[in-house]
Amino acid sequence: MELTYEKIDNTVLATLKPPEKGYWVLVSLLLAGVLMGASCWLYQILTGIGVAGQNNPVAWGTYLINFVFWVGIAHSGTLISAILHLFRAGWRNPIARAAETMTVFAVCTAGLYPFIHLGRVWMVYYMLPVPNQRLLWPNFQSPLMFDVVAISTYLTVSSLFWYTGMLPDLAIIRDRTTGIRHKIFKIISLGWTGRFEHWRHYTRGYLFFAALATPLVISVHSVVSWDFALGVVPGWHTTIFAPYFVAGAIHSGLAMVLTLMIPLRAIFHYEEIITIKVLESVAKTIIFTGLIVGFAYGTEVFIAWYSHNAVEIETFRWRAFGDYSLEYWIMVVCNTVIPLLLLFKRIRTHIKWLFAISIFVNIGMWYERFVIIVGSVGHDFIPHAWGLYTPTIVEFGIMIGSFCLFFFLFVLFVKHLPSVSMTEMKESLH
Amino acid sequence: MDRRTFLKLAGTGSIAFASGCTANPEKTLYSLVNAPDDMVTGQPAWYASTCRECPAGCGIIAKNREGRAVKLEGNPSHPINRGKLCIRGQAALQDVYDPDRLKTPLLKQNNRWEEISYIRAAAILKSRIRTAQQKGPDRVRLISGVAGETLASLFSACMGYWNAGKPVWYEPYAFESLKQAHKDIFGQPALPSYRMEKADFLLGCGADFLETWLSPVEYARKFAHMRRPGQGRKAVFISIGPFQSLTAANADQWISCNPGSETAVLLGLIRTALERGKGTRLPEPLSGKAREVSRPYTQSKVSELTGISTEQLTRLAEAMLRAESPLILGSATAHIGEAAYETDLAATLLNLVLDPDASLFDFNRRHRVESANPRQDTVAFFNTIVTDSPDLVLIHQANPVFTLPPGHNITEKLAETPAFVISFSNAMDETAAMADLIFPTALGLETWDEYGGTTGLVSMLQPVMGSLTQAPAIGDVLLAATDGAGTGAATYKDYLISRLHDASATDPAAAWVSLIQQGGRFSQTEAAGTAPVVTPPIPSAANHVADALSAVKTVHDGKISFAAVSSLRFWDGRGANKPWLNEIPDPLTKVAWQTPVLIHPERMEEMHLMPGDRITIRTAAGELTAPAYDYAGLHPDMAVMAIGQGHDAYGRYARGMGLNPITLLAPALAAVSGGPRFGVNDATLTANGRNQILAHTDGSRIQHGRKIALSVDLKDLHGEPHAEKHGLTMHDFPLTLPTEEGYDPKRDMYKSHSHDTYRWGMVVDLDRCIGCEACAAACYAENNIGVVGETQIIKGREMAWLRVERYHDPDRPEKIIFLPMMCQHCDNAPCEPVCPVYAPHHSREGLNNQIYNRCIGTRFCAQNCPYKVRRFNWLEWKWPAPANLQLNPNVTVRGKGVMEKCSFCIQRIKDARNVAKNENRDIRDGEVVPACVQTCPTGALTFGSYMDKSSRLNKLVRDPRAYQVMGYINTKPAVIYLKKITQII
Repeated sequence: MELTYEKIDNTVLATLKPPEKGYWVLVSLLLAGVLMGASCWLYQILTGIGVAGQNNPVAWGTYLINFVFWVGIAHSGTLISAILHLFRAGWRNPIARAAETMTVFAVCTAGLYPFIHLGRVWMVYYMLPVPNQRLLWPNFQSPLMFDVVAISTYLTVSSLFWYTGMLPDLAIIRDRTTGIRHKIFKIISLGWTGRFEHWRHYTRGYLFFAALATPLVISVHSVVSWDFALGVVPGWHTTIFAPYFVAGAIHSGLAMVLTLMIPLRAIFHYEEIITIKVLESVAKTIIFTGLIVGFAYGTEVFIAWYSHNAVEIETFRWRAFGDYSLEYWIMVVCNTVIPLLLLFKRIRTHIKWLFAISIFVNIGMWYERFVIIVGSVGHDFIPHAWGLYTPTIVEFGIMIGSFCLFFFLFVLFVKHLPSVSMTEMKESLH
Repeated sequence: MDRRTFLKLAGTGSIAFASGCTANPEKTLYSLVNAPDDMVTGQPAWYASTCRECPAGCGIIAKNREGRAVKLEGNPSHPINRGKLCIRGQAALQDVYDPDRLKTPLLKQNNRWEEISYIRAAAILKSRIRTAQQKGPDRVRLISGVAGETLASLFSACMGYWNAGKPVWYEPYAFESLKQAHKDIFGQPALPSYRMEKADFLLGCGADFLETWLSPVEYARKFAHMRRPGQGRKAVFISIGPFQSLTAANADQWISCNPGSETAVLLGLIRTALERGKGTRLPEPLSGKAREVSRPYTQSKVSELTGISTEQLTRLAEAMLRAESPLILGSATAHIGEAAYETDLAATLLNLVLDPDASLFDFNRRHRVESANPRQDTVAFFNTIVTDSPDLVLIHQANPVFTLPPGHNITEKLAETPAFVISFSNAMDETAAMADLIFPTALGLETWDEYGGTTGLVSMLQPVMGSLTQAPAIGDVLLAATDGAGTGAATYKDYLISRLHDASATDPAAAWVSLIQQGGRFSQTEAAGTAPVVTPPIPSAANHVADALSAVKTVHDGKISFAAVSSLRFWDGRGANKPWLNEIPDPLTKVAWQTPVLIHPERMEEMHLMPGDRITIRTAAGELTAPAYDYAGLHPDMAVMAIGQGHDAYGRYARGMGLNPITLLAPALAAVSGGPRFGVNDATLTANGRNQILAHTDGSRIQHGRKIALSVDLKDLHGEPHAEKHGLTMHDFPLTLPTEEGYDPKRDMYKSHSHDTYRWGMVVDLDRCIGCEACAAACYAENNIGVVGETQIIKGREMAWLRVERYHDPDRPEKIIFLPMMCQHCDNAPCEPVCPVYAPHHSREGLNNQIYNRCIGTRFCAQNCPYKVRRFNWLEWKWPAPANLQLNPNVTVRGKGVMEKCSFCIQRIKDARNVAKNENRDIRDGEVVPACVQTCPTGALTFGSYMDKSSRLNKLVRDPRAYQVMGYINTKPAVIYLKKITQII
């Protein structure tokens, strides 16, 4: 059966019908998870960071691992909606909206972690560049200040881009609803009427946003990588970090797109909109990013050997064969070996396989950040100071809370806003 | 609600909210209306006194700020320690501020403790004494730790007045075997001091003179003096024994021998020395007897008995014979093995063979600990309190329940005795718990007294602060209880003055003031008297030698020997209630808070043990389950534990922490000397399958070939200086000073910092560092460093700003090197640029300051610090009252969530600057002395400014041994290390 304008509208708008009881159960479970994470954080603020597992020498733990993880997740949304838009890759249209939403929520989740990580979060305003009686200005040499700028810019641009792209769809909903929902959508659709003038500005605006967001995709994760690469720590201090991180981010983001899209497709009967072909294209890109990431792992090891630097060599030997070797090999296998299965057409067109592999890549990418963060400072210059790190229950609480927060927001989104861009789907029918 | 009400409520609400959010600082500042004469707010007053943590008797000066002592330092003019203190001396303050210190006397009523007043306690004591006195002679018994001459005379006077016998002076480490050996050879049971600094060859058979032996601070200083590198040579120190103690770890070579076979080595050396013409001046019949007893000890025989190769024995003998001024030291404080007396006797004999004048023995300066009774007297004391049924037993500064093996049944005897037992302890220790009345008396830091650590030395004690508990001094208690005991003195201070009063002085009052100001009468110097005061009574000495050394048992039967060794941190256990001593890890194992049992790695492997696996040690006396620690500096048939922990009482820091190896020791005493045995010959070890996580502070035990703690062979040091080619790799990177000099446009993109007048820095001479950790304790005391406890240490959260890193050589694990690591105050510090809020800040004087108030706790600085010296306040650390009174008011107490680290004692720099500014000049070299530098017993640390071209720092930096730890990272550290000098005999 051919896709028609009407069918697109009906399929998408069907997702916005009043939800069943099960939905609200899910929402309340997720909210409970969020509250649990929040109370863990509150406990940590009152007691001290010591309730988490960080120590000397591993002063950065799951908080920054999760920060980098979520920033990574946030990458593919903009990649799909902006870069692929510029490249006119039509397969992106069905998943662009959900991917962008994922981006916005992932950045929000990621943005919480630097706060959770701080020893004195109540003093965080010291980082604001405003004139103050303390006569202090933030240190813009610090990669953490780069982070503040990069993440907040990215959040702003990606939210605006997301919202702009949604305008025509919001108007469609406005036109089909009554009562309070009509009023709300009337306000948020900003008076869209679909006049030629509106379309002209909209398409130009969308294009410019795409062009503006594209460098951000590259820059944000490059900046995040400099948190590490600008340090002197062996395992961090390397020039490949920016591209390595960007590729890793896209790798994890695409995997998360699959993780989200596959259930979404099944639940909302999007099979005809989000076709297997679309998922296959995502899978192909994952093979590519997986290979880049694998190449980066190889390069790191090669350069450590080639450098003749005993400290570098020991760091990479320890990563692969030391206390965290399990984590290292989880990373290597999940990120570079398992995605290679997607080379087989039968696997990459098989929904269950795709879903399973996407989960593996997500796990692998989490461990990549673990290996980078813990696997470097735990074993750096002074052997006397070497140490190990194990996360505590509070950290797991906060981590589960952050996953709940992300899914909580996402679950709210899919029932209240169009999770597939009707406008762009219609465009692609031409 | 109308508008006005809303505004009112909103206003009140926000004010209430805002005021509720403020931190709650102490709002009332009290000023003294009538301040004491010597108290100026903000200015410390220093009081000279004497440390009483061990019988060595080091001089101290206590820093008193606004009425409370906040820091102890060595008294620079004191002849024993010359301004230095050991780790225990630094921690002595914590006795005063012990949160579990008894505040009132406790009377046992129906097995429950009842708090009573000091007046009532004194009345009880008085009436008990009167009753006892009336009943007849010898009804009162007194046991006390070694006291100064004045207090000892008062004790004796009181006992005489009460018609009782002599007090028993009890020290767990009373050096009975050494005293006996000296008695047998020199005719007197003396413990002379050794002129170690004059020796050029030192052989130790376990004597742990850098830790607990006789007078550790004094010998650490003399050792460093002896070992200072001269023209192409350095005095040799060889240590022989089945266990490598910290002292042995500082030897050029530690030679492992079978447990109990040291005597054989010494006899072999006596034989060789006599054969090679030494000892010709030794009169007959002593030399004849020496020849006779050493005759069987040919090198092959010695080798067979000891397990040392003949080759090594030859080299050892040659090195000894080459020496101009050799010194042989005997067994350890807590001697391992049965043959301590024989070892000490043989060592003394060998000294006489090598130098019949015994010119390195100073009988003019004898260690005060020689006044302690031998162990057999203590045992007899406790036997007689049951058998003689006295009326009153007084226990002062002694914890025999803990320090005597359980086989002596001290607990039972104290329970059994019909006598009323009074303990004068300040803490509820094991012995006090068995008393009928605990009568706390003032601590050494709170009393007027006198304690000369060596004969002829007058060293004063005075209260360094007001009393926190109102506990009276023991002297006053006794005088009050006996109405002066016939001494005519109303108070102990009067008694003291009457005894120390210098009637010959032109102005006796002024002489008294100067005595307490200086801390004592130090006219006697070490150089005084070169000839030994004692000449051996030859015939009897010869007989003793013949008796003792002709039948030495040195057969090693392959059974496991267990040894309890004295601890650098806890002494005999009295240090265990001090958090700093628990928190600062053992220098060799780097384990804090716990007592592991040291096992040789081979045996660990044989028993399939991992570090921390719990093993049960069984001896005839008892059993103990302890976590195993693999330690290579050990004979494979040995198991070693440190004495000091494992208390059942003694306050929150001691109770239940670690284990007490004394419980494994047999009560039997050594035959000749009457001393205890700290070893057991047939112990069994069984693994019990469980594991305990060790609270160790080290990561790797080896350096992985990195440029961290370097050593250089003596030959290479003085050989041809080869032109060094500098590069950019770890080992050929040049020394880059943290000044303009250290910057090279070819290597550095940025220019150096510019510095005003000073650029502070430090030189650490690894050749002098003995790893004793006194510096770390001084740092804890000076800088208000939090004590985190066992659990947090296991999590890797110790807060020490200065740690002593210990590295084993990967090929020869018995080769150990120590490296004090603190903030390097880099000129190109990686911590500085990464902080988003400028909390680490480079000062105009080169200091890397950490500004606590700015810190928001990103911890990036710690991650980026290559030396890992930054410490984060993971939690709010506690100073339970009154421990908070010890906090240094010049140093901020850090709250949770901020980073901290070594500041080079910036508060001391500021003090020096204030003085200099008042005198309108610059700070002079040596005027700023950080706490670690101040206390280092060997003078390994030197602080100064790089900008002062004539500073000692700048001289030392030009030493060919100078290097920077991991300097190739180009951090340009301001701490320069000098390589340790090694030599192989």
